Amino acid sequence: MREFAGKIGRSAIGFVKHVGSAWKIFREALYWIFIAPFKGQPCKIKYVVDQMNLIGIGSVPIVALVNFFFGITLAMLTSYQLKQVGSQELMAGLVGVSFTRELGPFLAAIVVASRVGAAITAEIGTMAVSEEIDALETMALKPIRFLVAPRLLALLIMLPCLTVVANVVGMIGGYIIGRFNLHIDSSFYIKLTFDYLVFKDIWTGLVKSVAFAVMIALIGCYQGLTVRGGAAGVGISTTQSVVQSIIFIIMIDCMFNAWFYFI
Amino acid sequence: MPILEVKGVQKVFDNRKVLDGVNLSVEKGETMVIMGGSGCGKSTLLKIMIGQLKPDGGEVFIDGEEIVHLKDSEMDRVRLKFGMLYQGGALLNSLTLAQNVALPLTEHTRLDRKIIDIMVKMKLAQVGLAGFEKKMPSELSGGMKKRAALARAIALDPSIVFYDEPGAGLDPIVAAVIDRLIMDLSKKLGMTSVVVTHEMKSAFRIADKMAVLFKGRVIAYGTSDEIKNSDNPYVQQFIDGSLEAASVSAKDSTEEYIKSLVEGN
Repeated sequence: MREFAGKIGRSAIGFVKHVGSAWKIFREALYWIFIAPFKGQPCKIKYVVDQMNLIGIGSVPIVALVNFFFGITLAMLTSYQLKQVGSQELMAGLVGVSFTRELGPFLAAIVVASRVGAAITAEIGTMAVSEEIDALETMALKPIRFLVAPRLLALLIMLPCLTVVANVVGMIGGYIIGRFNLHIDSSFYIKLTFDYLVFKDIWTGLVKSVAFAVMIALIGCYQGLTVRGGAAGVGISTTQSVVQSIIFIIMIDCMFNAWFYFI
Repeated sequence: MPILEVKGVQKVFDNRKVLDGVNLSVEKGETMVIMGGSGCGKSTLLKIMIGQLKPDGGEVFIDGEEIVHLKDSEMDRVRLKFGMLYQGGALLNSLTLAQNVALPLTEHTRLDRKIIDIMVKMKLAQVGLAGFEKKMPSELSGGMKKRAALARAIALDPSIVFYDEPGAGLDPIVAAVIDRLIMDLSKKLGMTSVVVTHEMKSAFRIADKMAVLFKGRVIAYGTSDEIKNSDNPYVQQFIDGSLEAASVSAKDSTEEYIKSLVEGN
């Protein structure tokens, strides 16, 4: 029992230490994004654009694909249920609200965490084991400025954009079922969607996507910067990065949903 | 006044004393070679000298300034006084050679882009890599990577250049080329070199002074001749590369290992 308690205690201390270190990295990254530019040390625009291209543009096809099929699936499931009460046309609004409030930001974040979070950890981790990060420090160049800040800024810009793509494509998936299976007129389907959508549904989804972006960037970069043990270490950290990102996305999503539910 | 001074440096990892009161002094323009077997603490000492690791005790002076107690932002100012050649080169793989060498110049100087381009060409030519500006590190051999990394290390014309195993993983001819570059930097440009290595041939070729580390202590210190003629049995064993000697015997080590297995210690 004592041994078990000790194990729990050590794990808790380890977790707090990790959170502390990650918070330090986050604070420094925020400094390089929002404060340093006003002191004549701008975040490297070229690096940010490169990352935006890699993270954002590169993720559009897969985010669109996942959300399109999810839109179709959701439309089929809900219309099947709504058929019981004879209100199948409500499916349009239900798909719209589900995607803008929950599925769009959530699925976009999961795709980006798997695709981009892993890539961030692998890239930074490889740099760490090949002493590139040490070399940056020795040249008096801040690794957080060069590696973390551009990725965080790129994710902060691109994940909300990807969320909008996810929302639109998800609703198109729903429209396919509405139009070709339920034979709802196109303009009527669009009207039904917007009748049920309110502005709060859209902004709550986008706020969540910003929080997810912070989480993916932070976990990806932190896992990369703390890689130990060569190539095997990079592999372990990359896996941890994806797993932790997904867990934290689900937890944060739940917290935000609770918050938005009660306000 | 020495340009680099290490006084009583100690470092403990997991209750194991890796450095136990190391003292060293390097004069301006001198090439100091720090030697020792694997795990003797030479890489730890190097990390402490460049401010990458804080010692548990002792002091390190670079150009008269004590660096152990400096804040990170203050340390950045000192970092501009030295360059570092890492074992694998540590070039940024996402940048071309020219971009790698230009990095410290663009970040720490206000020089015009055209001047930086000229300086980059000069630095690359200095290490025999003229015309390789647009190559990516992945397109280069190990020796070329190290030469490019050396060009980056000297981009800001530092007073001191630290080298971590400069000849590791290179064939003897390429290793000799790197040694020649180290000597040139010292003799022609007056740069101070601190080289950590365990390669004897290279060490005796380039060293003005040598220090031999053993179990976290400097057990021999002096010129190449003084080290060659040292009566310390470990130093002689290290130079000869022999298995049997008074300090560490392969036979003793093996017997001790078997004994520990049998006794389960």
